[in-house]
Amino acid sequence: MIAEDVLCPFCGCLCDDIKVEVEEGKIVGVKRACRLGSSKILGHERTTAPMIRVDGELLETTYEEAYDQAAQILKEAKRPLLYGWCSTVCETAKLGILLAEEVGGVVDSTATVCHGPSIIGIEEKGMAGATLGQIKNRADLIVFWGANPAEAHPRHTVRYSSNARGMFTPDGRGGRKVIVVDVRETRTAKNADKFILIKPGTDYEVLSALRMIVQGKGEIVPETVAGVAKSDLEEAAAMMLAAKFGVVLIGLGLTHSRGRYKNVDNALSLVADLNGFTKFVVMAMRGHYNVAGFGQVCAWSTGFPMAVDLSRGAPYFNPGETAACDLLAKREADAMMVVAADPASNFPRATVGGMVEIPVIQIDPFPNPTTLLADVVIPTAVCGIEAEGTAYRMDGLSLRMKKVVDSPYPTDEEAVREILDRVRRLSDDN
Amino acid sequence: MIIEGGIVYDPRNGILGEEMEISIEDGRVVEESRDGDKIDARGMLVMPGGLDAHAHIAGAKVNTGRIMRPEDGRRGTEARTKLLRPQTGYTVPNCYAIGYRYARLGYTTAFEAATPILEARNTHEELEEIPIVDKGALTLFGNNWEVLECVRDGDLGKLAAFVAWGLRASRGYGVKVVNPGGGEAWGFGGNVKGIDDPVPNFDVTPRQIIRGLMRANEALGLPHSVHLHTNNLGKPGNYETTLETLRAVEDIAASRDRQVLHVTHMQFSAYGGTGWRDFESKAPEIADYFNRHQQFTMDMGQLIFGSATTMTADAPLEYGNARLLKAKWSNHDIELEESSGVVPLVYGRKMPINAIQWAIGLELALLTEDPWQMIMTTDHPNGGPFVNYPEVVALLMSRPKREEELKTLHELASKRSSLPSIEREMGWNDIAIVTRAGPAKILGLEEKGHLGMGADGDVSIYDIDPEKVDPSKDHEKVKAALSRAKYTIKGGEVVVRNGELVAVPQGRTYWVEASVPEDEAAKVRADLVDKFAKYYSIQISNYMVQDAYVTSPRIVRAGVI
Amino acid sequence: MREIRIEPRRKFLVPVEAEGISPDVLAPLTLEEIGRIEVWEGNRRSVLSDLFALSGDDVPGEAADARILLSGDFSRVKRIGEKMTSGMIEAGGDVGMHAGNGMAGGEIEIAGRAGDWLGREMRGGKINVSGDAGDYVGAGYRGESCGMRGGEIRIEGSAGDYLGEHLCGGKITVLGDAGDFPGIANRGGVIVIGGNAHLPGAEMASGAITVFGRARVLPSYQYQETVEIDGQSLKKFLGDLVDGGKGELYVASMEA
Repeated sequence: MIAEDVLCPFCGCLCDDIKVEVEEGKIVGVKRACRLGSSKILGHERTTAPMIRVDGELLETTYEEAYDQAAQILKEAKRPLLYGWCSTVCETAKLGILLAEEVGGVVDSTATVCHGPSIIGIEEKGMAGATLGQIKNRADLIVFWGANPAEAHPRHTVRYSSNARGMFTPDGRGGRKVIVVDVRETRTAKNADKFILIKPGTDYEVLSALRMIVQGKGEIVPETVAGVAKSDLEEAAAMMLAAKFGVVLIGLGLTHSRGRYKNVDNALSLVADLNGFTKFVVMAMRGHYNVAGFGQVCAWSTGFPMAVDLSRGAPYFNPGETAACDLLAKREADAMMVVAADPASNFPRATVGGMVEIPVIQIDPFPNPTTLLADVVIPTAVCGIEAEGTAYRMDGLSLRMKKVVDSPYPTDEEAVREILDRVRRLSDDN
Repeated sequence: MIIEGGIVYDPRNGILGEEMEISIEDGRVVEESRDGDKIDARGMLVMPGGLDAHAHIAGAKVNTGRIMRPEDGRRGTEARTKLLRPQTGYTVPNCYAIGYRYARLGYTTAFEAATPILEARNTHEELEEIPIVDKGALTLFGNNWEVLECVRDGDLGKLAAFVAWGLRASRGYGVKVVNPGGGEAWGFGGNVKGIDDPVPNFDVTPRQIIRGLMRANEALGLPHSVHLHTNNLGKPGNYETTLETLRAVEDIAASRDRQVLHVTHMQFSAYGGTGWRDFESKAPEIADYFNRHQQFTMDMGQLIFGSATTMTADAPLEYGNARLLKAKWSNHDIELEESSGVVPLVYGRKMPINAIQWAIGLELALLTEDPWQMIMTTDHPNGGPFVNYPEVVALLMSRPKREEELKTLHELASKRSSLPSIEREMGWNDIAIVTRAGPAKILGLEEKGHLGMGADGDVSIYDIDPEKVDPSKDHEKVKAALSRAKYTIKGGEVVVRNGELVAVPQGRTYWVEASVPEDEAAKVRADLVDKFAKYYSIQISNYMVQDAYVTSPRIVRAGVI
Repeated sequence: MREIRIEPRRKFLVPVEAEGISPDVLAPLTLEEIGRIEVWEGNRRSVLSDLFALSGDDVPGEAADARILLSGDFSRVKRIGEKMTSGMIEAGGDVGMHAGNGMAGGEIEIAGRAGDWLGREMRGGKINVSGDAGDYVGAGYRGESCGMRGGEIRIEGSAGDYLGEHLCGGKITVLGDAGDFPGIANRGGVIVIGGNAHLPGAEMASGAITVFGRARVLPSYQYQETVEIDGQSLKKFLGDLVDGGKGELYVASMEA
């Protein structure tokens, strides 16, 4: 059997044209997906049974025991952190936020270590965005800033951006210009019409200089800006102004270098400025396939897209104080639940230290470095392959992920619901 | 359940303030109720549940408003309770706050005013999370490539089939048209300047789009008419575009007993002047036209002073607003379909433009003689958040209140509008029409907006005695009573008692399933297969909103076969 | 002057939110009543006397005549002095985040270090910190267009990043260094930095920022002239021109 138009549960491109070949309930082939997507869809090592840490060692146990233990940990905690949600469906996130309300916890997503700064930038300036198809059909200039889709989002260029063909872009890459701004010459940069090499941590200054030139105030800008020749920036600005439809695609190179959300803020301002002359949009190249979806669910449920502290019953949002990294780095959290994420790999070392000293619950189909720190491990089905549900693409478009094969494991949604039910029973008992 | 002793206003059934009993059973109004539940409404005002026919309460642009405005989110924050989820926000409340606050006002139905088909899943995900009220969403068609091409080719049959398909794909209730053609032009940063300004690359004009969609709408016999946000909205002098638009469709007849066109948030389309300096009200001209043309309806789009979040599919308007006000600006273009924008702003009493805008909304409502042509709205949260509806009702009912307010405003509100000279004060029957019976009739919701046999058991009861309180003098009492319903009854269940929520049921979602001839449907399918293969960024099989996203549907049938 | 002494009963691991520690709230109460003021330790609601030992004068009075003395480790106690309008708070050591949130009057004296968001959205009054301060001194809440609108903050040590973000009035003085983006989006406030700073005055619309040490200056600033301030020679710039700003930036030495 071939399952058609399957959504890929890997990156924020959320490609929805994948063909998955299934034989006797097993996936035997994948077509159209990139190598990253294929490897996830074909599957790799799984956690096969729930586990609880006893005397420093993870021992297999029953789901009932694991859920009970998880509920107990969350219920007892004064500042539990419920983190992750990027590689699971929105239906899980909804329950996760409800669970955070029930236990008076802080709920946050992996945005804290990827595009969280982009979101804070949007809070300052708003964002002029578009769906990916708008870029495919109209964009004649693509700017990748600190983004390297050739490595991180392999099909982005072909499906949506530099090489895509559409209504007003019949020649694909041939009819487009590509500018890359980065701190090293990436594979994406090698394919650019114009590459601007900048020093790490100087994005803000370079953006300000570009904005000055775009606004016609270039004579004030010094001859070099953070090592970049003004003439290079003038050339880039001219390309931007000459475009009929331009787009700036923002990567982690911008959000995680010195200046962080202010870099994004300035990039958003550049795009707003450019709209005074031509059409320009901007988009964050979101990493995990549904990190955007958690932000959406969290916003409509709590009013805020991430880093929501529910300890006093009313949502309180203040990244820098209430984000997962903040709680762990300051050693505030006294318990942590990790759903569909791997903070032990992705967080700064000082932050991971905050996980070592507290009970950690992991809900995930796969073992990963976080498993090594976990006290309760609950294996689940893989969303988009073994469980259906909603995910939001990097442009905010929501799609329904499919179930292609059966799984012996509960879904993330079921696992969170089991814990939620137990927490509620514990509350009623008190 | 029996509601006893209240003074009932049910204009649709000709009940104008009579003391009478209302019986509800199994969620509907009945002759006689068998159960023993009684609600003592003596000395209180009883009306059908309120119905908001135009608000932005769900979907991508609403959530964008939340995400870009944490400073709004922190306003109106309330902790969770055993019954209620937490609440946040003033102009862009979270989903739970939307449901709770409508219920506390005595409102039991609310329609999201603009959803693109491609992002309708998002809209329904949020509608599902809004508790208590019944809901629906109007679907955007005015800049959709398939629409533009059908109109260009003059293929009305295919256009109607596409409208039916689009409503089904989006689980939408009606045809919303926003700045027709302008959204497409915005794809390359342009706009259209009037109804005969051609849409770039498509060889059609806004006039043709509006006429085509209205004719398709009537061919399908949809419960609601086309719901139009005019071209040039928000710009000085735009009343001429508005009147020109209306004159352009005078020959089109409604297929049902309702208006043939609803022009929404008219306040933003009734402007005179050649620029902001000589900006003035043209509400009297608009109202005069409506008084002579009963086939059209409108809603106010009343402005409320203070914080607002403007959000509209009129993206070029929002860019202009943001640049003018140096405000935050979000934009979102939707491939092949629409564009949209979100800009937060503050309306100031001493700002001449804002003060005149405030007056225009009220002028429109008061100068339009037939209240059945008028819906009270604030175009939430564009003119201001819906929680201010009691303020608007008080203004409509009390000339002294209007005079008091005018004294606090920039003087141009009095000089550039006719408001000071308007004597009319709406009575409770008028209010019941502009907040209940009228919007239900305009939307084509048979079982809403009245308390006749078989109507939904949606009732609001306010602690104000219409026989004793003079709304003109005691407008403060009117506002206070309407701000916290004594009881709100939704589908026969008490959801609010003494202004507090006591139950949180899940409402239903209305959508329209319109049948079309198979040959027309096949033509549309062929077009769409081509469009998805070449232009959309997703597969056609993943496009339509799945049933999982509308868990309590109320499907209204229409169509040509 | 009435003295109210507050001391933590134990070391807090989970942060405590105690916005009630303010002269306006405590001054009209007896010590016993003060003990019943709500505080939160994470998600646990409790009362002040559960977490803190209280002593001092027991006679209720006016906020203006109250002096609250905090002894011990308050580094994890947040929102001290929130919205206070008069009176005095003296912390013998460190204080946690959000001290002086929305403060309108009175004085806060911190002998140790202050956490992030010191004097957030402050409108009036004075804060003095003998040690360092964290990020976002005198800033606004996320998404707001105004932070501090009035009053004075003085930091004898160094300050973190985003000092005075969205400042709309008032004055902030830092004797040591400031971090990244001091005075970003300044709309009329005054910032004086004794040491070094990185990219001061980004998006500044109006107001003044003086850096007596070294700073990296944005390419959207235009050099005006050299001026003498407090006997030191500084370069004067106008900006941030990228946003049409008319702010004044004075820098002693420029980082290449």
